[in-house]
Amino acid sequence: MATATLKSADYTAPHAAKPASRPWFFTRPSAKTGLVSWLTTVDHKKIGLLYAVTALIFFLVGGVEALMIRVQLAVPNNTFISHQLYNELFTMHATTMIFLAVMPLSAAFFNYMMPLQIGARDVAFPRLNGFAFWVFLVGAIVLNVGWFTRAGAPDVGWFGYAPLTSTAYSSQFAGDSSTDLWVMGLQILGVSSVIGSLNFIVTIINMRAPGLTMMRLPVFTWMTLFTAFLIILSFPAITIALVELMMDRSFGTSFFEVARGGMPILWQHLFWIFGHPEVYILILPAMGIISEILPTFSRKPLFGYPIVVFSGAVIGFLGFGVWSHHMFTTGLGTMATAAFSLATMAIAVPTGVKIFNWVGTLWGGQISTRTPMMFALGFIWMFMMGGFSGVMHSAAPADAQQQDSYFVVAHFHYVLIGGSIFALLGGIHFWFPLVFGRIVSEFWGKLSFWIIFVGFNVTFFPMHFLGLNGMPRRTAVYDGNMGWNSGNLTATIGAFILAIGIGTYFTVIVYTYLKGKKASGDIWDARTLEWSVPTTPPPEHNFHITPTVHARDAYWYEKTHSIEIAAEKAKHAQEEESHGGIHMPSQSWFPIVTATGLLIGGLFFTHHHFLEAIAGGCVMLLGIIGWAFEGPGGYHLHIAKDGTVTGGEGQDEAGH
Amino acid sequence: MRFSPVLFLRRAAATCALLALPILLGGWLSGPQSTFDVKGPVARTQLDVFYVTVWVTTIIFVIVASVLAYATIKFRARGPIDKNTPVPDQGHGNPFVELGLIGASIAALVFIAVPTLKAIWYTYDVPNEQRANAYEVNARGLQWWFQFEYPAEQINGAGQLLTGNELVIPAGRPVRINLRTSDVIHAFWVPKLGGKVDMMPNRGNHLWLQADEPGYFWGQCAEYCGESHAVMRFRVIALGAEDFAAWVENQKKPARTVTPVNDAPKAAFASYDMTPKQRNSPGYTAEFDAHPFAAWTALQFPDKDEDTTLITQGRTLFKEKNCITCHSIRGHEGIGVNAPDLTHFGARSTLAAGLLENSKPNLHRWIINPNNVKPGNKMYVGVNGMAGYMDVDPATKAMTGKVHIAVNDTEARAIVEYLHSLK
Repeated sequence: MATATLKSADYTAPHAAKPASRPWFFTRPSAKTGLVSWLTTVDHKKIGLLYAVTALIFFLVGGVEALMIRVQLAVPNNTFISHQLYNELFTMHATTMIFLAVMPLSAAFFNYMMPLQIGARDVAFPRLNGFAFWVFLVGAIVLNVGWFTRAGAPDVGWFGYAPLTSTAYSSQFAGDSSTDLWVMGLQILGVSSVIGSLNFIVTIINMRAPGLTMMRLPVFTWMTLFTAFLIILSFPAITIALVELMMDRSFGTSFFEVARGGMPILWQHLFWIFGHPEVYILILPAMGIISEILPTFSRKPLFGYPIVVFSGAVIGFLGFGVWSHHMFTTGLGTMATAAFSLATMAIAVPTGVKIFNWVGTLWGGQISTRTPMMFALGFIWMFMMGGFSGVMHSAAPADAQQQDSYFVVAHFHYVLIGGSIFALLGGIHFWFPLVFGRIVSEFWGKLSFWIIFVGFNVTFFPMHFLGLNGMPRRTAVYDGNMGWNSGNLTATIGAFILAIGIGTYFTVIVYTYLKGKKASGDIWDARTLEWSVPTTPPPEHNFHITPTVHARDAYWYEKTHSIEIAAEKAKHAQEEESHGGIHMPSQSWFPIVTATGLLIGGLFFTHHHFLEAIAGGCVMLLGIIGWAFEGPGGYHLHIAKDGTVTGGEGQDEAGH
Repeated sequence: MRFSPVLFLRRAAATCALLALPILLGGWLSGPQSTFDVKGPVARTQLDVFYVTVWVTTIIFVIVASVLAYATIKFRARGPIDKNTPVPDQGHGNPFVELGLIGASIAALVFIAVPTLKAIWYTYDVPNEQRANAYEVNARGLQWWFQFEYPAEQINGAGQLLTGNELVIPAGRPVRINLRTSDVIHAFWVPKLGGKVDMMPNRGNHLWLQADEPGYFWGQCAEYCGESHAVMRFRVIALGAEDFAAWVENQKKPARTVTPVNDAPKAAFASYDMTPKQRNSPGYTAEFDAHPFAAWTALQFPDKDEDTTLITQGRTLFKEKNCITCHSIRGHEGIGVNAPDLTHFGARSTLAAGLLENSKPNLHRWIINPNNVKPGNKMYVGVNGMAGYMDVDPATKAMTGKVHIAVNDTEARAIVEYLHSLK
């Protein structure tokens, strides 16, 4: 239990006995500002910001890719870009948005908010947390480096169906490495996600503040936990598939090679056993954010908390049993098709339950339609539409007409933009005052919401009709006689409106970061612990005193029971000081060194320079050895009565 | 009154919705690949299931959306809120409401599940009582064209009847189509006749469909299959029983041979436009689009003003330019199996896998510069280690950048005349 950590009898301090002298490369960096502080950081908040900024940059890259696709499709038989470039663009648009934008942006919120919501000072493994980010960045570089090579970017689709990925079909010319880069990039991103997830799971299970039982966890933290479990359970499937594909391409094995008896259908099963839980990996964090915003701006607890949590678990569980609905057209046979059809319908129930509970949360509340709330309400509407077209797909015979048509494109953009992106953009507005101590202008925030909302619907609503009118996906050109002209033109106009909305959104965010109105403290009258931090932005150690929890919506309770809570907190402060003060993790160079080795190795391996790849592996090994031998590190901070903080890296001797 | 951007946007959205309605009902759902304009029992069954899902979800949507809209408006905070505003009731929910809603959701899904299950079994294969009447064909996907094989129509000494990119079927009869691929995954989709099924390597997939009436239908590959996936298209032509029998009989004949007549070349022979076309320029005329079935029918008979001299030249060139190593022309020199069988090419309404109308200028455009029409096509880049228009290094199978086959306008004109004589 979390309370156990406070008993001084259990507490040992290995860092207290510091070796007198250590080789220079084991010296822990101590810079708190500047480049080095970011490169060596182990602070979950800084890592969260690194994730967020990287993800938002890739979100814009993916957006530009989408705009080029829409320009090409604005008119029939357009010559704006070639078929080959179009194929690269839709492959990279999907890969970028899923793996380099939505997932890391969710990870940014996990990193920043989850430890604050559970009253912890950092995640369980701070250096590993930094490593997860750097590995993510390596994966992102490997995936995108193709744009700058002769081979071009990957062009096999984000789903990479065998045997199109085999060397026989995916190499335009000898030495075309774009597919190898795709395989390696995804593999590396998987490593990052699994590391990050294990860290979050251990943190949530072990580092909750005293009194924070599981059924008092904020829903966002619950969704973090479910997402983390989904990641560690689903990524092994794609890891295996990617290893097999890599072996086929580099060493001539025949897992998917048709000519040598390989089974391309195997790829699809492995891919979608990962790929369907992946859908929930993208949406559960968004549902968590919505479940924080709605109660705050309704001034009311979440309706049916246990059912919302439980339905999240059911979605995660059923999410592993519906993968073949992506494969209804592959000839599964009647019985399998029927089973996956029914399972898919079943998953609509826990999803619907969440919608009912959000509506129930609004009911009887005091709804203030601030900008984050606008995004949250927009989420419910758009997610509902995406959910209903999802139910239409679950009926396999109807899906035979919809599969791989623009109807599907409309469906999952309603879920991923109207769902995930709306929630993430709303989440940025919601927590911006906490993270930066500034508040986004209400007028500009709402204006950007409305432009995004209109642009999004103008873009994607017509796609339902394009799909039902027989327009297949992933087609660079279409003829003018198919009845698709006005729908496509409308969608392209919508895409530009959406782009203006996103542009407005980010301009406003950047402006606010630089010059926005200052805001401090609990400006939304919020309900969860992250708002109880002493300053905004939160200090390095998050809380001067470890919080204590007596109810769900812990901070809301604290606000009405301040005397009782203050007394308990004073006790915590005393205990913490009695065993050395606030224990903080030391920064380290080794996460980024290890990740750099992975980058060198990965890039050389994809180009079949195996000796150089081994050299990269050696750098990685060196990083791991350094990591292991630099010691656990750590230092203590002390809070004076007036709130001043003393202590820091290398000052422990002086502090005692 | 003060200008309210929110109100303005709401009104604008409502106006747009009203204006958009006729467009939606008019053009947006009635294209040649519309899944609403169904012409056979399989597509009709799939559409019926779709309507069930639409009705059930629409009813739920209207109910939930009304409650959501009502709650948002009714419980909107009156005036500004700060920490001193009295808080609303901090209720945590009602288990009976929750369980009731879960029960209602499950009940609604049963409405969808029952017709879904029935349709899964019905659309999977030809119903038993009609199996004796079913006609069987094989459809094979290749990068980036379709080959159709007629196992029921064996030709003495030449195996089964083959066609490329145009599947002719009997109307009013169930047709069972075995789906095969020679390279990557493709999908066979003729929306008006039925939903798609993939052509998977190492897997014997099939589908069935039936055209109620004779007609001309658009189809397209629906699984991403590489560079020119977007232009991998085909047609299905359904014929009445007698017409179908006549078509089969003609198709089984060897290629038509035209004897050169010692006439002066006819004035009409160069009458088409040979100026190079821009990449992706459309390959159809408005007349063809308006009456595709009539256009197809007209192509079944030889042209009246054929240039027999040019046809003979074209046949020689077809051999000399090495076209015969990949294309079969039964009864003539062509013996290849890597490319579409062209024995009755002149009787097809499209070329380059449904991309272009089979007219002389279009065929000319295709033969002169195939890569401009369909990037990466095998006639240009080579196939199975054999060079196409471009030279291929036998070791790496990569293009060397040298030209292997070049066709000039005069030669192309002769080849066009020859291929169009193959009715």
